[in-house]
Amino acid sequence: MRFSIYRYNPESDDKPHMQTYDIEVTPGMMLRDALLKIKSVDESFSFRHSCGEGVCGSDAVNINGTNGLACITPVATLKEPVEVHPLPGRPVIRDLVVDMTQFYHQYRAVKPYLTVHDPEPEIEYLQSPEEREKLDGLYECILCGCCSTACPSFWWNPDKFRGPAALLQAYRFIADSRDQATAQRLDELEGPYRLFRCHTIMNCTNVCPKGLNPTKAIGEIKTILLKHNT
Amino acid sequence: MKSWLLQRFTAVYMALFFVYFIAALLIAPSESYEEWQVWMRSTPMALATTLFFFALLGHAWVGLRDVFLDYIKPFVLRLVLLNLLAIGMIVMALWVVRILLTGGA
Repeated sequence: MRFSIYRYNPESDDKPHMQTYDIEVTPGMMLRDALLKIKSVDESFSFRHSCGEGVCGSDAVNINGTNGLACITPVATLKEPVEVHPLPGRPVIRDLVVDMTQFYHQYRAVKPYLTVHDPEPEIEYLQSPEEREKLDGLYECILCGCCSTACPSFWWNPDKFRGPAALLQAYRFIADSRDQATAQRLDELEGPYRLFRCHTIMNCTNVCPKGLNPTKAIGEIKTILLKHNT
Repeated sequence: MKSWLLQRFTAVYMALFFVYFIAALLIAPSESYEEWQVWMRSTPMALATTLFFFALLGHAWVGLRDVFLDYIKPFVLRLVLLNLLAIGMIVMALWVVRILLTGGA
């Protein structure tokens, strides 16, 4: 099977190029396995990977134009030649390895942790099954970055727009019955950039390897913000 | 937030007005220019039409401002473009008012 891989070493190359590799594939093979095989024949090739089962989110790449996790993408489903690019819009460190600093900065900015002002309870924080249910579809995010790097609004304003991944987490804590910083979280998202650069393009929902829906979460934040401000 | 709301409200109003306008044209088309003038100059219709054009301008303002915020990075250029847009829209608003007041005469 033929693979066309994005290659770029900023230290030695003037500009990126695509390199072709022919790899023998086996039944049930995932793209990550193919990339590992490529690395075994060309050790100058770099890509990130770790768990190999869609849990760590390290091997997010752009596969035939769509972001996804290499480890859970069967090569049998891909059209030849399989074009693999780094995640779009991020500075390339080398080959498929990109700099995710801005992505993490935006994640950090939504304060993705419980904020409680009351004294800590003696036992655990209690939550009804219904309240807990609200967090389904939000907490499962593995921060692979497929969504934010597929979002045109994030391409144009990665420094100001929080991006779908961070906004999904913002909503995860706004929706959490135990969190007591909802007002601050909502105020922080005001203004034309942080939340409202989202134009409901829905690339994020389309590419999420965990099947989550950041667009819906962003819509929920807008509704809550509307109630909060009126 | 405010601009996002404005965009939603104007969109809904324009959609409703559009449906009504098309329906009115299909169900009871004006037989003559005079009849058309009477219809368009009746107070509710004149108000609704004026509101429609202001909604259109408001909607377009938010939309184009979004495009500028997304794509025009140099601050000065963006400021110039937004000002030109604002001036253009004010001119269009005044023009619409003039047309509606004078009946295009």
